[in-house]
Amino acid sequence: MQQRIHFTQKLDELRMQLIRMAALTEKAVHDATRAYLENDTDLAESVVMNDAAVNDMEDAIDTFNLELLALDQPMAKDLRLIIGSMRLTVNLERIGDECVNLAHRTLFLSTRPPLPANARMERLCAHVQDMLTKAVRAFVDEDTVLAGEICAMDHTADELSLKVLKEAISTMVEETRIVERSVHVIMASRHLERIGDLATNLAEAVIFIKEGQNVKHRCKG
Amino acid sequence: MPNIKIASQSLDFHYGAFQALHQVDLNFEEHQVTALIGPSGCGKSTYLRCINRMNDLIPGARVDGRLTLDGEDIYAPGVDVVELRRRIGMVFQKPNPFPKTIYENVAYGLRVNGVKDKRVLDQSVESSLRGAALRDEVKDRLESSALGLSGGQQQRLCIARALAVRPEVLLMDEPASALDPIATQKIEDLIHELKRDLTIIIVTHSMQQAARVSDRTAFFYLGKLIEEGDTRTIFTRPRNKQTEDYITGRFG
Ligand SMILES: Nc1ncnc2c1ncn2[C@@H]1O[C@H](COP(=O)(O)OP(=O)(O)OP(=O)(O)O)[C@@H](O)[C@H]1O
Ligand SMILES: [Mg+2]
Repeated sequence: MQQRIHFTQKLDELRMQLIRMAALTEKAVHDATRAYLENDTDLAESVVMNDAAVNDMEDAIDTFNLELLALDQPMAKDLRLIIGSMRLTVNLERIGDECVNLAHRTLFLSTRPPLPANARMERLCAHVQDMLTKAVRAFVDEDTVLAGEICAMDHTADELSLKVLKEAISTMVEETRIVERSVHVIMASRHLERIGDLATNLAEAVIFIKEGQNVKHRCKG
Repeated sequence: MPNIKIASQSLDFHYGAFQALHQVDLNFEEHQVTALIGPSGCGKSTYLRCINRMNDLIPGARVDGRLTLDGEDIYAPGVDVVELRRRIGMVFQKPNPFPKTIYENVAYGLRVNGVKDKRVLDQSVESSLRGAALRDEVKDRLESSALGLSGGQQQRLCIARALAVRPEVLLMDEPASALDPIATQKIEDLIHELKRDLTIIIVTHSMQQAARVSDRTAFFYLGKLIEEGDTRTIFTRPRNKQTEDYITGRFG
């Protein structure tokens, strides 16, 4: 099957591009969360700037996949890789968008007096980063067990973000001067929580590629 | 309960000392299209030819196990092979029309079966050509030679010839492999039409064709049935690694 060697090379290329896009997204989450926690406006601005690269990668991978479908008529696991990779890119791109949103919160909050350190937000930042890193590793290693663990981690992200909300509400009731800032903190926690959801979608796509099982909507409790 | 039209149980086939089929268990449901796929030499044609006893004439050929049509043993002593082949028609890879008129090609099977009435013959030729989606193209030249038809038309003529004797099962061995995309499309459309009345077993080397025309797919390798199942499942998430390697083009 000589002509398939070329096709196999194209699939390897597709995997490489996905890993590159995932790496860019991981960096975005890393930078956006650090910028938020450390009030680093330069870093936040760089997150906003760098998002275009993630979008470009999504377009490039889409075109690549379209050509693979049209020219190589893939079947079975190859077909699943291509469909799954489209899911991966859509979700990675959205994670990039949430990082931009988070960066905007950082930039706004930097124009106001600093709020006291928020341990829950720190945990939430670390948690969703961990989810994304694991989702990417699950894809690279085709590790569906790890992918399954990510689905379970989403609960914690939801819980943490809910606690941030409740805490913010009670501080707002006590002190009206920080209402505006607290609203932005709540929104920041939403962006993080959303990154957790999207990382879960990545994990589901990994399971789909490997096993052909659609676990979408089943993962989330 | 779907009706099992054809069933093979522990089917072995030998060409002399060479065993070409090993313990093949496979059922074919009525009104379904089953695609047989697998690399060259894996025994697809051999299996197909066992079903209508086309292998009988090969010296040293031996069939063991059981093959049934409507539950009745195809190889039982006393089976009328001519009648069996009327019920189980076959279309080959290369169109093989007789050097006769288009009309006579289609009427041939009926004449062999003793039909003489001109009206009956006319009607049957007409409906068979229609059934094979060829009538409009040839209705004004039924008395010209079949050899003047294009390859795709010849293949549909052979299908019309097979249909004329009102078979219950149609065996097709790579029926579109010598045809252009348009003629291929016509044959594939025809298969969809025909399965209302027939049970169809088709051998094809085109994965896309198998995926397009069949309800079920059976993968053969080295004379063994490796995996059989719903076509949608076989082409999206086959269970067997060899099946996956074959349909994704990573074999050998
Ligand atoms: N008449 C014969 N005598 C001896 N061996 C034969 C004969 N016909 C076929 N064989 C052998 O039996 C095996 C199966 O052949 P068969 O023609 O059934 O394969 P196939 O799957 O139809 O291949 P292809 O896709 O090339 O048509 C092959 O090893 C072939 O060499
Ligand atoms: Mg053959």
